[in-house]
Amino acid sequence: MKRQIPLIIVIGLGFIFVAHTFIPSRTSQDFYDWWVSWSKAISPFAVVLGILSLFMVHGTKIQRKAPNWQYSVVTLLAVFVTAFVGFVWGTDEGTPFLWLFKNVQMPMSATMFSLLAFYIASAAYKAFRAKSPQATVLLVAAFIVMLGQVPLGAAISRWIPEASQWILNVPNLAAKRGIATGVGLGATATSLKILLGIERTYLGSD
Amino acid sequence: MKVNLNLRGIVLILILMLCFALPYSSFAKGNPEDYIVQGLKVNDVPNDDGSGLVISWNPLPKERRVIEYRVYRGVSSDTLSYLTSSDSLFYIGKIDVNLKTGIAGDSVYFYDSGWLPFADLESPGRLKKEKGDHTQCLIFREFPRDIHINGPQLRDNYVVLGIAKERDFFYDAEKVEKRNEDGDIDIYSGLKMNQFETMYKILKRDKEYFYTVIAVDEARNYFPAAEPVSGIPRANSPEPPKALASVFVADLNRLQFEWKLPTETSSVYGYEVWMLDKGKTEEFVQFKEEQIILERDELLCKIDKDRTPLEAQYENPAFQIFRSETSVYTDVTQGIVDIVDGKITYDGNEYEVTPETLNNYHFIFAFEGARYRNWSPFSELDHYQSSELPQFHEIDDGVFFTVTDRAEDKGDYNTISWGKPVVTITNTSYLNDSRTQLLINYDYLTNKEYKVRNIYFVISDSVGNEITRINEFYLDGNLKVKFPEGANPEQTLSIDITFKCNKDLGNYYIRQDLVYKPFSRSMAPAKALYINGIDVSNYNYYIYKRNYYEEVFRLAKKFGATQREYNDNISHENNFSLLVGDFDAEKNLYLVNPEFRIYRSEGDTEIQRGAGINSNIWREEAEKQMANLQKDIDKYTVMADTIKADRQQSVLDYVSELQSQYDEMLQNPDPILEKAKSITDDKKRWKYLFSQRNASRRSYEYKLAITDGNGHFTFSDIYVNPDAKSLKEDNEAFTYFAGVGINHFYPVSNWFKWTMFPALIATLIFGSLVFIMIKKAQTSELYIRPIAGIQEIDNAIGRATEMGRPILFVPGLSGISDVATLAGLSILGRVAKKAAEYDTRILCPVRDYIVLPIAQEIIKEAHYEAGRPDSYDKNSAFFITTAQFAFVAGVNGIMLREKTATNFYMGMFWAEALIMTETGSGTGAIQIAGTDAVTQIPFFITTCDYTLIGEELYAASAYLAREPLMLGTLKGQDYMKLLIIIFIIIGTFLSTAHLTFLINAFPEK
Repeated sequence: MKRQIPLIIVIGLGFIFVAHTFIPSRTSQDFYDWWVSWSKAISPFAVVLGILSLFMVHGTKIQRKAPNWQYSVVTLLAVFVTAFVGFVWGTDEGTPFLWLFKNVQMPMSATMFSLLAFYIASAAYKAFRAKSPQATVLLVAAFIVMLGQVPLGAAISRWIPEASQWILNVPNLAAKRGIATGVGLGATATSLKILLGIERTYLGSD
Repeated sequence: MKVNLNLRGIVLILILMLCFALPYSSFAKGNPEDYIVQGLKVNDVPNDDGSGLVISWNPLPKERRVIEYRVYRGVSSDTLSYLTSSDSLFYIGKIDVNLKTGIAGDSVYFYDSGWLPFADLESPGRLKKEKGDHTQCLIFREFPRDIHINGPQLRDNYVVLGIAKERDFFYDAEKVEKRNEDGDIDIYSGLKMNQFETMYKILKRDKEYFYTVIAVDEARNYFPAAEPVSGIPRANSPEPPKALASVFVADLNRLQFEWKLPTETSSVYGYEVWMLDKGKTEEFVQFKEEQIILERDELLCKIDKDRTPLEAQYENPAFQIFRSETSVYTDVTQGIVDIVDGKITYDGNEYEVTPETLNNYHFIFAFEGARYRNWSPFSELDHYQSSELPQFHEIDDGVFFTVTDRAEDKGDYNTISWGKPVVTITNTSYLNDSRTQLLINYDYLTNKEYKVRNIYFVISDSVGNEITRINEFYLDGNLKVKFPEGANPEQTLSIDITFKCNKDLGNYYIRQDLVYKPFSRSMAPAKALYINGIDVSNYNYYIYKRNYYEEVFRLAKKFGATQREYNDNISHENNFSLLVGDFDAEKNLYLVNPEFRIYRSEGDTEIQRGAGINSNIWREEAEKQMANLQKDIDKYTVMADTIKADRQQSVLDYVSELQSQYDEMLQNPDPILEKAKSITDDKKRWKYLFSQRNASRRSYEYKLAITDGNGHFTFSDIYVNPDAKSLKEDNEAFTYFAGVGINHFYPVSNWFKWTMFPALIATLIFGSLVFIMIKKAQTSELYIRPIAGIQEIDNAIGRATEMGRPILFVPGLSGISDVATLAGLSILGRVAKKAAEYDTRILCPVRDYIVLPIAQEIIKEAHYEAGRPDSYDKNSAFFITTAQFAFVAGVNGIMLREKTATNFYMGMFWAEALIMTETGSGTGAIQIAGTDAVTQIPFFITTCDYTLIGEELYAASAYLAREPLMLGTLKGQDYMKLLIIIFIIIGTFLSTAHLTFLINAFPEK
């Protein structure tokens, strides 16, 4: 029963929502809206689970004095302080909570994001090494596309921007659409497997 | 990165604590005296109905770093009386200030006018004092939900409108009896606060209100309030109208007028047109000036009760020929006056005119106010013939527009279609430096009556020589034009456009020019758009509608000349707007009038309807309707004898209206009310009355106007369905609304979305293929092409085991509703089982907290299935954070600290993908990724050892399971893909041969 009841709920509601896609009636829409509003109620409980998990993982580390346990203290301290200032002074403009968000979290996130530029350069270097005929084609195509995006390309030859556009619009788009078709079918097949109860790993077993 | 020394750890913690303490270093509070708002003033909002005040004050200097001004309102200035909440000032709103720019100008304005929020479920539960020290007065935050606080406020100080759900008003209200000032018992419906969606309020006319303002700086310090100042909202005459456009259509013997709507609508009760003999201009000017003086004097008399009011000296020399009621929604802007037998008839008066004598008159437009009018400048008459006015293009023989129920919706839209298809050129660009090729972008608009199949373009040069002809069989919005050799690329081009549609368009053609603009060195589409040789670019279409419930037609929507269809939203009624005038603190109920309108009886004129047919929630009260009406007649008859002479006539008119309503109801009892009376069960009665109200409110009749905005317009008749069939036979709710289905249109809820039919067929085919393949897989071995990334999973886990290091599995950053996450979790199950068998630790950081318990359960079950429940660690799957880059930082930290031997990335990823995989690559881990995010696939391919591209992610689970059910699905997927490829190839060939039926068979979205 532990498996069957969730499975029945998933299959039953799955088919109802498939039917909803094809039924525009008010009854169907109202049922969907009603259900969505209820499903939102799950989120707060899940937040509690997430925070508990965080405390368990880092609490255990601190307790056992695991290597680098100081990081866990920092994490938990950050959670406590942010939650505390949020609860006490609120989250409006001008509160310590927003100050922390703007002056601590946002710069740190921006730092991580800006690292991406260096990683892209490193990845590009790896990708464009002409080790094989395929990699050479990739290198040439990338070179044309990059040149086509800057004024220098047009200055060298008016064909470069056009070739760049052609590469993006024809072979690149065709490949992307091919992947998209496969993804669409794959997603449909996975949904179908879940709907028919073939795929049950999400319940904790297959 | 290794931080093992306790001292360094402590230093790190101290630095972090310093970071958290930093906010307070910048939160030093300034001198409170410097932050008190100066120059606080309260003025009446001009030209309104007496429900608005405007509060102004001088902004504080920018260096004070004020981020908001909070405004508070109360009803008393006596600081000694600030002992009860009803005499205090409550927060009503704020003006936000941009710290960088500050406030532009010398004053800050806050308008306390219109329907502003009063209280609702989100209001504080109890009275809360505002932050800061305010010695001037007692200041509170918003009105609380506490009925003891907000009840007296809504009864005494404001006009409050509650928005309640129909179910609450009809079925869940409580009957409340309350004795009024005359000693009679009044019956109300009582509703609790939670039965209102929200409550809005407006100020009461001629009541004094007090205001103060508090400045709040960026550290959220609340500074002392300014000395409260007061103001009284007064009813004013409407704003002066803009110029009236007046046209005489000679062949129709008709006067046409067009005007602009007022900005402030609350004080306008009607739109009027007056005629003034040009010889009496001076007299009219004196009359107008006197009216202004009288209005001012009336206001002074209100302030000084002992003042003797001025007597009017002048009479209005103009005479009224037209009036239109205003609507609570958007109003009409056109009016028509027919001259019949040389006479204009209005309100029982006849005025003789001829086309020649019309020129002896000024036409004046007026906004009618409660007491005074305001007048437009004089308007001179233009003389036109009807053939010169803008004309509709017939959508069918003799039909200018159609109204239909929109297909495939939940019954909340009517579709209005008019005219024939239209094409407009939107943009052009030269395709080469020598400017011999031109790309022309076009847009086409049509309606459900006309399906455009082909558009034919004929492009000619400035002297009329044809350059090219283009047959657009695939309407992609682009045309490529090649100029003949030596042609001037800067000349004006003329584009003639015709169509091939599902129906014959007759003689219908469009022309638009392309004009060279030296400034931008480009060809720009000309503004003029010619349809059958007439420039329509200045025309607008106005759609007017009215239901059985409303008195007047109102503007549903205004469109430009090229629009051809409009879906008019008719929402399913969910709410009632109810005036909340009193409360019952003991029962915790807000009291509303239990009466409600069902429909309006038909009126004599097109724009004026008869009385409203009302009923009452409470049966016994509904049955007393006649007696109450008689009581009102008696009451107002007595009142007419006692009030001032200038008001007497209007009261007598009202008595006469009530009397005729009484007589009408006596002679012709309303069938709906009669039937409701016969229903004994209360709930059934409510249901019946609600269904009738619903039918009345949601059945709309429509008419269309085409105008150039200057009085040159043509109105269509109200649309009548040529295939008229009343809906009353099909539905009992329409029994007494015979016009529904004929000239009133009620949108009906639909049960199938036919545009989704191809998707349904495709799903069924796919489902069948899967079923067939599963059956086949159960009886024979199916060949599945090898996928390197999946085959390497076992080896990768083995490598981690050999190295004695953990495995990292990231199931994407998306939520559980994403199919990619589900696919990733399926793979997690297989990987976790293998890892459990090999006794290798698995780490699964999670970004979404709903995914967390699922991932934990999957890993736990995998260990149980592998027969190693002892090795299961409940912290294997753990939550890091929902913040994208903080999550990446966490995962990267795990890779570096734990030295994971194998990293799996399976699911949905965004910009963070490369940061993670490059770090993994740096630690020397073997990495296998799988995603359906097309933009991230190149990064995974570059940095990971194996990548599952797109659908391979979904196939992985089946591949690893090797079960017939799973493999059958996979094989079915392949055959479906084959089918799609076949369709693409056939479609390509057909389209190349100008056959677009296959493409058109599929919906675009």
